[in-house]
Amino acid sequence: MNVKLLLQPDCTKVLADCQSKKKILEHIAEIASTKLPDLTCTDILASLMNREKLGSTGIGNGVAIPHGKITPKGEPVAVLLVSHPGINYDAIDNRPVDVFFALLVPEDQCDVHLQTLASIAEIFDNKDMLKRIRSAETDNDLYNVIEAA
Amino acid sequence: MLSRTITIQNKLGLHARAATKMAQLALQFKAKVQVQQGEKTASADSVMALLMLASNQGKEVTITADGEDEEQALNAICELVSNRFDESE
Repeated sequence: MNVKLLLQPDCTKVLADCQSKKKILEHIAEIASTKLPDLTCTDILASLMNREKLGSTGIGNGVAIPHGKITPKGEPVAVLLVSHPGINYDAIDNRPVDVFFALLVPEDQCDVHLQTLASIAEIFDNKDMLKRIRSAETDNDLYNVIEAA
Repeated sequence: MLSRTITIQNKLGLHARAATKMAQLALQFKAKVQVQQGEKTASADSVMALLMLASNQGKEVTITADGEDEEQALNAICELVSNRFDESE
């Protein structure tokens, strides 16, 4: 699924005071839970944390794609966070991570999930785009950067 | 330069964790390793580039390795793919 369709306006956030991986994931879970009434914030956080335990989702260049599973029927939910400054996220290139594109995806939709990951990677592979994402000053600016992509 | 064409066998395809494993492995070699699928080519040491391939189960990809340890690199990457990235299905 295309990133623009996936990301809803109130699912972007620019953070200034985040110190740890856990805090980032808590912010993500909190935002995602407003879109997933069947799941609690705690469930979502557990799903995201369990995935990180299998290996960091920090894919390099200051970008991470935390993700977790939701029930098969649900619609996927995306959350985009930018944290200033970046935090230690055990990324593949050991660089601090400041851009987080989180995904809560239904189970058993492997091919759809791969297409979604590909469209996320395309956005973050674009240096100009990444620069605009990092310089967004408000939650709304951040949303508009993706919308305009 | 060496190359080999193999099939993605794991159920989830080249998803984030599999792509990360491949990139971590590719980074251990001096040879430049690439994954080609149709008209798209990705550097095997970039998770971002690998994810853009969206390789699902059953897809054929061609791995190429170029550099002094190209044989070891090619074998290691192909083994990772044939072992389904150590996933159970």
